[in-house]
Amino acid sequence: MCIFSPEVSTHHIPHIGVQHTYVLFTASSKMPSHGVPRYKPVEKSAEARKQEQQKIDTYRDLERLVSTKVTEHEYTLDTLNRISELLSKNPEYYTAWNYRRRVLRYQFSQAGDSDGDTGPILQLISSDLQFLIPLLKSFPKCYWIWNYRLWLLDEARRLLPFEEAQQMWQQELALVGKMLTLDSRNFHGWGYRRFVVETLKELGTTEAAKGMTQTEFEYAKKMIGANLSNFSAWHYRTKLIQSLLDEQSATDDERRKVLDDELSLIHQAFIDPYDQSLWFYHQNLMGAFDPAMAQRTMTPHLSSSERLEYIRSEIEEIQEMLDGAEDCKYIYQALIEYTLLASKVEGSLSTEDREQILSWLSELKKLDPLRRERWIDLEKTL
Amino acid sequence: MALVSGPGRAGGPADTQLHTLKHVTYVKNLDTRKDELEYWLTEHLRLNGVYWGLTALFLLGHPDALPRDETVNFVLSCQSDSGGFGAAPGHDAHMLYTVSAVQILATIDAIDELEKRGRGGKEKVGSFIANLQNEDGSFMGDQWGETDTRFLYGALNALSLLRLMHLVDVPKAVTYVQSCENLDGAYGIRPGTESHAGQVFTCIGALAIAGRLDLVNKDRLGAWLSERQIESGGFNGRPEKLADACYTWWVGSSLAMIDRLHWIDGKKLSAFVLQCQDPDAGGFADRPGNMVDVYHTHFSLAGLSLLKFDGLEEIDPI
Repeated sequence: MCIFSPEVSTHHIPHIGVQHTYVLFTASSKMPSHGVPRYKPVEKSAEARKQEQQKIDTYRDLERLVSTKVTEHEYTLDTLNRISELLSKNPEYYTAWNYRRRVLRYQFSQAGDSDGDTGPILQLISSDLQFLIPLLKSFPKCYWIWNYRLWLLDEARRLLPFEEAQQMWQQELALVGKMLTLDSRNFHGWGYRRFVVETLKELGTTEAAKGMTQTEFEYAKKMIGANLSNFSAWHYRTKLIQSLLDEQSATDDERRKVLDDELSLIHQAFIDPYDQSLWFYHQNLMGAFDPAMAQRTMTPHLSSSERLEYIRSEIEEIQEMLDGAEDCKYIYQALIEYTLLASKVEGSLSTEDREQILSWLSELKKLDPLRRERWIDLEKTL
Repeated sequence: MALVSGPGRAGGPADTQLHTLKHVTYVKNLDTRKDELEYWLTEHLRLNGVYWGLTALFLLGHPDALPRDETVNFVLSCQSDSGGFGAAPGHDAHMLYTVSAVQILATIDAIDELEKRGRGGKEKVGSFIANLQNEDGSFMGDQWGETDTRFLYGALNALSLLRLMHLVDVPKAVTYVQSCENLDGAYGIRPGTESHAGQVFTCIGALAIAGRLDLVNKDRLGAWLSERQIESGGFNGRPEKLADACYTWWVGSSLAMIDRLHWIDGKKLSAFVLQCQDPDAGGFADRPGNMVDVYHTHFSLAGLSLLKFDGLEEIDPI
């Protein structure tokens, strides 16, 4: 592997053929084609080719019409409708979303001119929010639509009376809830939810903000209940617990109580020890006992002896899980990781612990051949 | 370059060899498919497509398969007065396409063309990018404000290629990346969001370009990344998700940047990726049996190259 330095453009390094690569994860139903099953290509008939050409002509005519109107600053409602037509055919056309913003900005400025009546603006924004819903449902992984919707809601905040804007943002929770029911791992949806919640907190009172965190906590709980493998929901839970404790200015004792509850919850969930999401959540909780990480967790102030007590008790708990699940690699991984964590807190690794780890590692090398080299590296550090 | 998917479809379990010439032909023919509606529906990705296709051809050892002059002309035709680039002529300037433009020009050693024929030379491109940096160090995609670690990585990547890193606040960008780190050692799209392998690549890539990989918890992140490999041999992007050939690059290059690429089974990974290729018409798909496209073709080949697959040029992981 090459050594890279910030100012060396890699195509000048002789053994490296190409420049480093670039990022664009799109997973829309258009392109790149994620999850589109193969079909046998068939030679198109003359008729089919003609039909396709007609579709191309119609599409390109529409595209030309829209871009001409925008170039000529013809920011009318008719242009807006044409843009809607174009975006319905191709929601990935990001420039057309920008056209839409320009037309609407102009329309807002016209509507706001008169006696301070924001009714027409409300009308424009509401109908635009409505226009987006079928598109979001058909293209739930299209960045541009989510992003445009947030812009629109920010416009509402900028231009509408406070209560109206607040209500609009409030309604978004129901929408994103529906979207996450359709795909409970959609990270656009989860990211959007965070935005909406943060904004609603800004718009509401401190008391309301606390209530919101609690409601969101209930939401994450519901999503986990529906599918224990949903790590997106577990992740959200981690974040929400911290917010709840901070907002309530929780004492160290209260924090410990929550941690205890979380540990017993995850122990119950471990009925399926083969589920990776559960282990990552457990690992998040265990961060509280790692001196290097504790500051970022829900219980930053545990003493070393408290940490050690927790770690030893978790190790015991996990060791019991081996009974009947001797082939579950995650159990061995956790035992090794937490035994090492205990030694970190204690300041040294005992011979007994070292022997234990070596024996778990030898199991792991058999059970997890994909990551064999990782286990060998770990072995070398002991 | 067209981004039309198909016509090929990924082969199947039996494939163990790389069909180099088929892939070269596949990429070269992408721009001849103007009689397909999808060619026109994917115009918003054209400049990315050129980059993916061009890089694929370089990796396959056919760097001259796309005519250089035409490529430069096309890239420059996408530039707007702001200095930034759009996906195709007439499309709005955006970080994503500006980065592709710079990468293409760097790959074919044509950055000079920005001075000769571009709008305002490379400084103008640099200032377009620099103007998109926010107060907290993050970057927007364009004037409309979307913020995402993809744009931060893209900005540092393009500026380092242009040797204009001094135009932005790198320490602030680094701090922002750190704020996207989760307890699992991996990174999300914005502070507080779930870890995602694609975002790990952007964050680690940005730190690598900034010379700050010392800030990464390599063992913890390496563990998370290595757990992306599932039984099929392929990588997924998050826990309990399906494998996808493009993660060969996102996960593989991230592991390489933190010196942990050997923590996964490269042979099984290559075997998975080879099953995603179409042995007859060329190209790669996300999974065996699915439609191929140039995006997956590029990231599959880049991933194989990272694994030092025989017959491919070597790639830099950043």
